[in-house]
Amino acid sequence: MEQPRHLRILRDIAAVFVTFVFMFPILWWALTSIKPISAVFDKDRVVFFDFVPTLINYAVTLFGLSRSGIAIDQGIGMGVGGAEAYDSRRAILDSVVVSIGATAVTMAVAVFAAYALSRMAFRGRAAYLNWVLGQRFMPPIAILIPLVTIYKDAGLRDNDSLYGGYLGLMMIYALMNLPIALLLMKSFFDDVPKDVDEAAMIDGATRWQSFSKVVLPMVRGGVAASAVLVFIFSWTEFLLSLFLTTSIRTVPVKIQTFVTSTGNEWGFIAALGTAAAIPSFIFILLVQRHLVRGLTLGSLKE
Amino acid sequence: MVSEHPLPWLLPASALMVVFGLYPLLYAIWLSLQRKHPVTRKLSFAPSYNWSKLLGDERVWNALGNTLVYTSAALLLQLVLGMLIALLLDSDRKGYGLLRAMMTLPLVIPPAVTAMMFLLMLNGSFGVLARGIIATGLLPTGFSILGTANTAMAGVLLAEVWQWTPFMVLIMLAGLRSLPKEPFEAAAIDGATAIQVFFKLTLPMMSKVIAIAVLIRGIDLFRAFDYVKVMTDSGPGTATETLTSYAGRIYFGNADFPYASTIALMTLILVIFVSFVFMKVCKVKL
Repeated sequence: MEQPRHLRILRDIAAVFVTFVFMFPILWWALTSIKPISAVFDKDRVVFFDFVPTLINYAVTLFGLSRSGIAIDQGIGMGVGGAEAYDSRRAILDSVVVSIGATAVTMAVAVFAAYALSRMAFRGRAAYLNWVLGQRFMPPIAILIPLVTIYKDAGLRDNDSLYGGYLGLMMIYALMNLPIALLLMKSFFDDVPKDVDEAAMIDGATRWQSFSKVVLPMVRGGVAASAVLVFIFSWTEFLLSLFLTTSIRTVPVKIQTFVTSTGNEWGFIAALGTAAAIPSFIFILLVQRHLVRGLTLGSLKE
Repeated sequence: MVSEHPLPWLLPASALMVVFGLYPLLYAIWLSLQRKHPVTRKLSFAPSYNWSKLLGDERVWNALGNTLVYTSAALLLQLVLGMLIALLLDSDRKGYGLLRAMMTLPLVIPPAVTAMMFLLMLNGSFGVLARGIIATGLLPTGFSILGTANTAMAGVLLAEVWQWTPFMVLIMLAGLRSLPKEPFEAAAIDGATAIQVFFKLTLPMMSKVIAIAVLIRGIDLFRAFDYVKVMTDSGPGTATETLTSYAGRIYFGNADFPYASTIALMTLILVIFVSFVFMKVCKVKL
């Protein structure tokens, strides 16, 4: 159905406008991250572009430079505060370790289970799928409270050793992401005709060989898409990370510490926030094709 | 053939769900049946203590009310906006693919960061959004949207709606693109108006897609925490306190594990009950 020309142009304008409205907070954030403090806190007017851009916020949060030194030089910055408090390199590392670890654990357990649930007929299969789905219904707070005690007893929480804080958070992220990874992988396995395994097994392959040599390579794209989604959900998680660990701090938690009694360090918050969003932006654009399937736990395909 | 048995395949996932899911859940149930002595901090078995306390606790009802308002308002706004934007962006013409891709970006920002973003933009004295609203004369100068009981919830919802409307847009777009062409061509020949086509054809044919989107979003909305925690810390007072944030406050404020567990379990029971009814009534399955 061809629309008249003026309607088409009107629609184009509306589409661009709506998208811009949704992009605005992101752009504003990025803009705030390169503003000097005086431009952020201007009470007389809203500063859009008439400021001298600065990279001090990135220098402090991402490279650990001392803020007070730079601030005195350039006459910007507020409060005093130690430089270490805003150096976020450790938090970024913590987030990367936890997210990659959680993704690896989730995918490792999900792929096998998804294959069995897609390929094998057994009693309790439907019940098992419901059990998996049930994890998605669980409010994290319900398992968080007992988990703190369990972790304390097991030394997974208040432990300064490398595995201490990391392992505990990774495992609970793996549990939280299991439904999406498992159901998504199952939907990808379901797309591969059963004849494929049967043909392989008639040719003498064992079940394991037909899985690892034939079917798994066919769903590589699905594995990648699921892993990306699990990574993003782990990367952005807040509640569990806030309450469950003491020896490590992921980025969403770290950023909250920039809210201080002398005022919020908006420049640092914006810089770290922008930096934290960039890997997710790249990843999400890579898996556009499978995004809907992923977000609906494999129910809807595009 | 040993490997034909599903057990070895399911074992790792089952172990994860038992150790980190089932065991804590049973522990939470056990906790909810204990009473924590306020002075000695010892636990004693008192199966009805927390549950009867819960029923008489006005803050639980307030939190439940806030959770319901939050969930239904966000669902409605996201659904309507999501559908409208999906219809707008559903075009094969040049550039629309880019707009659709850009539309997915808000989804992957950490919600705790989104909350900070809106905290800045809604600041009464220098926030760009608050200043914009104040400039229209709707609000007095320096008005604090998040610091006023009547408007705090709306402020939090703004962040929620901004971040998750793209979720609905994406799902609606997928739904729109999977619709068969023929009924629409027939309707065009019959001279149906765009409004008629939407309500008589598009909407009914999209009902399954919409139901799935509502279910998934509803589950997440019901355990709302991040925006509330960061933007208002459940305040002012208890104006934006949700069930999850109340349980968190009880747990970390009073260290009353048993009561916090009880509130968390009630949230779980409500989520399961409402989703179950919804799935039955709307005949959807995930």
